[in-house]
Amino acid sequence: MESTAQPQQSIWGNLKENYRLYIAAFIIVTIAEFIGVKTFHVGSALIVLYPMLFAIVISVLLGGDILRFFTKKEAKKASSLVLVVITPFMAKVGVLAGANLPELVNVGPALAFQELGHVGTILLALPVALLLGIKKEAIGATSSTCRDKDYGLICHLYGSDSPEARGALSIYIIGFLIGTVYIGFLASFVASINFFHPLALAMACGIGSGVMMAAASGTLAAIYPDYADQIIMLAGASDMLAAIVGIYFTLFISLPITKKLYYFLEPKLSRGNSRHGNRTKLKGDA
Amino acid sequence: MTMNLRNWALSLLLTSVVTTLIANLIGNHVSIAESIPGVLSLSAIAFVGIALGKLIPLKIPPIVYVVLTGMVVASPISPIAQPIIDSTAKISFMAPITIVGTLAGIGLDFKSFISQSWKMVIVAILVFTGTFLIQATFAEIFLNVTNAFD
Repeated sequence: MESTAQPQQSIWGNLKENYRLYIAAFIIVTIAEFIGVKTFHVGSALIVLYPMLFAIVISVLLGGDILRFFTKKEAKKASSLVLVVITPFMAKVGVLAGANLPELVNVGPALAFQELGHVGTILLALPVALLLGIKKEAIGATSSTCRDKDYGLICHLYGSDSPEARGALSIYIIGFLIGTVYIGFLASFVASINFFHPLALAMACGIGSGVMMAAASGTLAAIYPDYADQIIMLAGASDMLAAIVGIYFTLFISLPITKKLYYFLEPKLSRGNSRHGNRTKLKGDA
Repeated sequence: MTMNLRNWALSLLLTSVVTTLIANLIGNHVSIAESIPGVLSLSAIAFVGIALGKLIPLKIPPIVYVVLTGMVVASPISPIAQPIIDSTAKISFMAPITIVGTLAGIGLDFKSFISQSWKMVIVAILVFTGTFLIQATFAEIFLNVTNAFD
C-alpha cells in the first residue's frame, strides 16, 4: 500500500515536528467551546452558530495567509489531520445507526431514491455556469458536490491539470470554506419555512461531506430537539450512502448526463465560441 | 493516507481524544472521567475501521469502514452493543467536531480561496442549495408515499 512507499515517521519525530500544531489546536478548541453555542433569529429563521464554526474562524485568522502563526508545513499537516480527526465523529454516526438499525432499514429505500436528486442540481447549476462564461470547468464543477472522492474521480478521468479537474477543485475549496457555514444557514432557513418534515431535512444533509453533514444536521438537531437522535442517525446514513454509492453514481449517471447537457447547451448559451482555447485532450488520447 | 497506524493513533490521541474530552466538559458539562469510556470507544471503532480500510483492497473511502464498524458493534447482533451505546451516548454529537473545524481552518489555503472567481462561488452555492433542496423534496415525497415513520 501507499504507506510503505513513504518514509515511516517515528513517534518522536511526529511529536517534535507537530507539537506546536497540537498545542495550538487544543487551545483553539478550548476557546471555541467557551464561546459556546449561540442562537439568534433572522426573521423567522433560527440561526445556530456552534463552536466548530468559531474554531474555523479563529484558525483561518491564525493561518498562513493572515496572521501567519502557522508555517506552510504545519498548515499542510493540519489538512492531512482533518481525515484523522473526523473518524471518531463518523464512529459516533455508525453507533447511532447500529442502535437504530430497524428504523434505518425502513428508510433505506428512501435514502437510495433521494440520491437521484443530484440530477436536478445539474439541470440548475450547469446552465448558470455556462451563462457566466465558464467552459469545461463547469463539467467538473456541477457533476457532483465535488467532495474528496469526486475530485479524485475527476482527476482520475481527465487528469489533474484538466479544466474539468480545475472546476471540481474550485467547488471543493469553496465548499470547504463557505460550504460548511452556508449549509448550516441553509438548513436553519429551510427549517424555518416549515414545509419539510424534520426527518426529510435530515436525509437531505447527506451530501457526501462529513463536515458539511455535521454542520447541517447539528443545526437541525438544535432546532428540533425531539428528533435530535433520529436526525443525526438519518443524516449520517444518508451521508454514508452518498459516500458508498456516490462515486459510482457520479461515474455512471451524473457525469454522463452533465457531459451530454454541456455539449447540447454550450453552443447555445456561451458567449463567443471563439474562446474555446482551454480545450485539452482527454487523458489517454493520442 | 500516508500515515502508519502507530502515528495515526498518536495523532488521534493528541488531537481528537484530548479535545473531545475538553469540549464535552465545557460544552456539554460531562466530567472528563465520565467521558473517557465513550471517547475511547469511538476512537477504538475509528482505529478498527481505518485498519480494515488498509487491509481491504477496495476503492472505498476508509471513513466508510469506520461507519460500518460503528454500526456493527452497536447493532442488535453485537454482544457489546449496550456498553458501547451507553458510553458513547455521554459524548455530545458536536464535541468531536470542533477539532475538525480547527484543523480544516489551519490547513485552508485562504489566498487561493480569495482569488477564486466569484463565478465559481455562485456555481458552488447553486450546487449545494440544489442538492440539499432536491434531496429534501425527494425524501419528503418518499416519506409521504411510504409512511415510513408511522
